[in-house]
Amino acid sequence: METLTFLLSGTLIAGTPLLIAALGALVTEKTGVLNLSIEGLMAVGAIAAFITVTHGGGYWSGLLAGGIAAMALSAIFGFVVLVTLGNQVATGLAIGILGIGLSGLIGRPYDSATVAPMAKMPVPFLADLPVIGPGLFSHVPLIYLAPLMALATWWVLKSTKLGLRLRAVGEDPDAANSIGIKVRRVRFFAVLYGGFCAGVAGGFISIVSATLWADGLIAGRGWIVVALVVFGTWRAGRIALGAYLFGLATLSGLLVQTTGVDIPSQLLSSVPYIVTIIAITVLSMQPARVRLNAPVSLGQVYHQTR
Amino acid sequence: MRGKLIAALAATCIAGTAAAQELTVGYIYPAPVADVGWAKQLDLGREAVEAAYGDRVASVVVESVPEGPDAARVMNQMVSDGAEFLMLGSFGYMNDGLKLAQANPNVAMIHASGFRQTENFGTFTSRAYEGFYLGGLAAGMMTESNVIGVVGAFAIPEVVAETNALTLAVQKVNPDAEVKVIWINTWFDPPKAQEAARALISQGADVLFSLHQDTPSVVTVAQAEGVYVVNTGSDMSSYGPDAVLASVTHDWTDYFVREVGAKLDGTFKGGDERGGLAQGMVEVVAYSDDLSEEQVAMIKATEAAFISGEEHPFTGPVLDQDGNERVAAGEVLADPDIFSIDWLVQGVDGSIPE
Repeated sequence: METLTFLLSGTLIAGTPLLIAALGALVTEKTGVLNLSIEGLMAVGAIAAFITVTHGGGYWSGLLAGGIAAMALSAIFGFVVLVTLGNQVATGLAIGILGIGLSGLIGRPYDSATVAPMAKMPVPFLADLPVIGPGLFSHVPLIYLAPLMALATWWVLKSTKLGLRLRAVGEDPDAANSIGIKVRRVRFFAVLYGGFCAGVAGGFISIVSATLWADGLIAGRGWIVVALVVFGTWRAGRIALGAYLFGLATLSGLLVQTTGVDIPSQLLSSVPYIVTIIAITVLSMQPARVRLNAPVSLGQVYHQTR
Repeated sequence: MRGKLIAALAATCIAGTAAAQELTVGYIYPAPVADVGWAKQLDLGREAVEAAYGDRVASVVVESVPEGPDAARVMNQMVSDGAEFLMLGSFGYMNDGLKLAQANPNVAMIHASGFRQTENFGTFTSRAYEGFYLGGLAAGMMTESNVIGVVGAFAIPEVVAETNALTLAVQKVNPDAEVKVIWINTWFDPPKAQEAARALISQGADVLFSLHQDTPSVVTVAQAEGVYVVNTGSDMSSYGPDAVLASVTHDWTDYFVREVGAKLDGTFKGGDERGGLAQGMVEVVAYSDDLSEEQVAMIKATEAAFISGEEHPFTGPVLDQDGNERVAAGEVLADPDIFSIDWLVQGVDGSIPE
């Protein structure tokens, strides 16, 4: 495995779960709901997927199970913030902690267990190319699907009636309500969708990339996802770029250590986070552009009066 | 697992009400007891204590106790429930444990990896570097690319000493080999450990060392990528039947049994236990079948020499990365220097973060 091949394939493997979860979070946030429980949702998805595969289920059923489990948990979040009008930030944090704890509890008998890796699906012809073949085109199918998912998310949000409804609810729930869009229903389904994506992403980590379960497996990646949506200024394309950039930054930080360049490794470990902070700072220096795209009602409780 | 928890709760009740046993021993682990890993090795010590003293001791176990206020609460509870012997399984339990030990002179405590001792507060640390020296011999013998990769958790003296020891061993059998180190700066992030392992493989490493990863994260990568690995903690060969070259394990059973026995006899005294191969605290197991009989024999001979004291992993001349002589020819690195080591030996490709 050459350095470049490793960087390419490693970036895809590290970036894919972030991208999948972030695209789900994007849809949720587009409707005006800020869900901070991604870390917990990913953890629940990871253990559900792992248990499914351990007990003989296929990898696709595993990912589905992960998605459904996280969706169930996000339904609680949706109920609290949409029906009982709970504070989104506080509820998100609470559900996130619940998810992490729950995954540890359910996962106890599976701690440090492993599963076989998922079969790879090399792309015909392209996989035979030098360097980029093994780097980009010799992966499990989900890795190829993630960029397509970004494309689909972009298209749906931008050019379809569904996308318009989602955005309308996020921009001005009162106006959306007045033209007959069921605001709470739209938001609830967006929360479920975001939960499903986070669960699939968690499942990807436990059964596809790490191929093991351990309590605390997600190790902060859910928070990166939350930051990525901001980093990407609520645009699918930029979020995809950010997710892969984050993967690349992590790997470069590790790789540089082996080249003998004398940079403190703590600094390298923090590179991805520093990049995230810088990106957010730079973006916020153009407030108009960010504001144009940030859902106006994000994080606000919507109380339907009529 | 759940059964054990219930048993532990039941034991607490018994100790609190009837005091049926002579001694209640409390065990506090920083991580859940999985099939492998640090907490598992500590828990094997508990099993040995129970086997040795049977009905004379009762056990109370609390797992996954974060360092800080939670740990203080758990140990206070144990003591007020009648525990008179505590095993504190993580470095960060030190200050709370010391305070409690001071207030309760009748309670004996043993503490992992610490450096402060009192009459009723002892510490235990393993000389795992001796085991990694043996692993380094195996690595030096088996590498074909002459690149050894180390995935290190944090560059603390314990892990640095292990890295140095394995490097010296690699150089002894294979002067052409180089050792590359990646510090991942976390105790627990399995995906990151795996990324580091893959990064090292991409740099040509065909033998990996998994230093202080509690899960088989690096082992599974080694198995998938067809390289060898020497891991820490428990025998992980079942996770990488083709990959595990050797596992460096901790065995606390004799020490725990001895200390609990001393408490039962009324002779407990807080000491500073540093055990290696000779004391059986460190064991190297699961040698790969790919090692020839002669190679295993050579490793075993070194092990015997360490046990008898004839040889020492840090025997001079030892040069650091800048070429300064840190240990003169014929001398060995003194204990305090090993346990506070902050430099890497020549031949390590990597650096210690300031």
